[in-house]
Amino acid sequence: MQWYYSKNGTQLGPVAQSELISKLASGEVSPSDLVWKDGMGDWIPASQVSELSVLRPPAPAPAGSVPAAPPYSPPVSPYAPPVAVTQEIPSYLWQSIVVTLLCCLPFGVAGIVFAAKVDTLKKAGDIVGAQVASANAKKWTMIGFIVGLVINLLAFGFSFLSAFMAQSQQ
Amino acid sequence: MKAGRALWVALTVLVLAYAAFHLRQHGNLGSWFPGCLFHRVTGLHCPGCGMTRATYAALHGNFGLAFRMNPVGVILLPIALGVLGIQIIGWVRGKRLNWFPETTPKLAWALAILVIVFWILRNIPCWPFTLLAPI
Repeated sequence: MQWYYSKNGTQLGPVAQSELISKLASGEVSPSDLVWKDGMGDWIPASQVSELSVLRPPAPAPAGSVPAAPPYSPPVSPYAPPVAVTQEIPSYLWQSIVVTLLCCLPFGVAGIVFAAKVDTLKKAGDIVGAQVASANAKKWTMIGFIVGLVINLLAFGFSFLSAFMAQSQQ
Repeated sequence: MKAGRALWVALTVLVLAYAAFHLRQHGNLGSWFPGCLFHRVTGLHCPGCGMTRATYAALHGNFGLAFRMNPVGVILLPIALGVLGIQIIGWVRGKRLNWFPETTPKLAWALAILVIVFWILRNIPCWPFTLLAPI
């Protein structure tokens, strides 16, 4: 799913949903910035998109300090309260292992490392980090799978063709 | 149960079964199996090198030779395929199955390190590391 977003009146994108979520998490895109994807009627603030806001972690409380009453209270934003995330974050661990063992390309190893990161971050409660790592694990596993498949099919076709040619020459 | 997904899975299983049958009958030498391209290009052994020969040996019941070809892969691949099989059954039925415990970070990192260390060690060209490389 491709998202577009706007910053300071400039339209940016398209980016993948996982990338937009990580931009929101890092603050590169703020919740009030307008976002749009194909099928939506109009541009709306990122904070009002449930697909994006569900994944946002609760604002981190400053450690060790009692939050004083803010001198200025910001207008109440229509944030969906952070939902306790019960959704699955796939790690693609076994998929990346299979790709590594069968496709003979080092991309799968990157997939395994990201898969391990997913489990670590998920356990630490870093949902956004785990989502990003999950997207990366998926990306590298898919690259390994597709590149491995294409290269092996090409090589297969090539050796098939040369065997066929050798036979017809005899 | 989703018919489209079931069809894809059935097709994939059919192709894999035919590939396994072809491999068992004809072996990988002189046949159309392309072999490891990473090995052909770099001369190095990747973590999956030897898996075709190992599968060939295993399909003929020679598990010792299969283990010799790729000791990590021969153990890890059946486990991974088993877990994936369960996941795929859940995917076809449109419902996740919780037949196995979720992987812990420790297990995931152990597997990642195992694969990477195995990859490095089997490329060291002296005994006993050469035992990890396929023959």
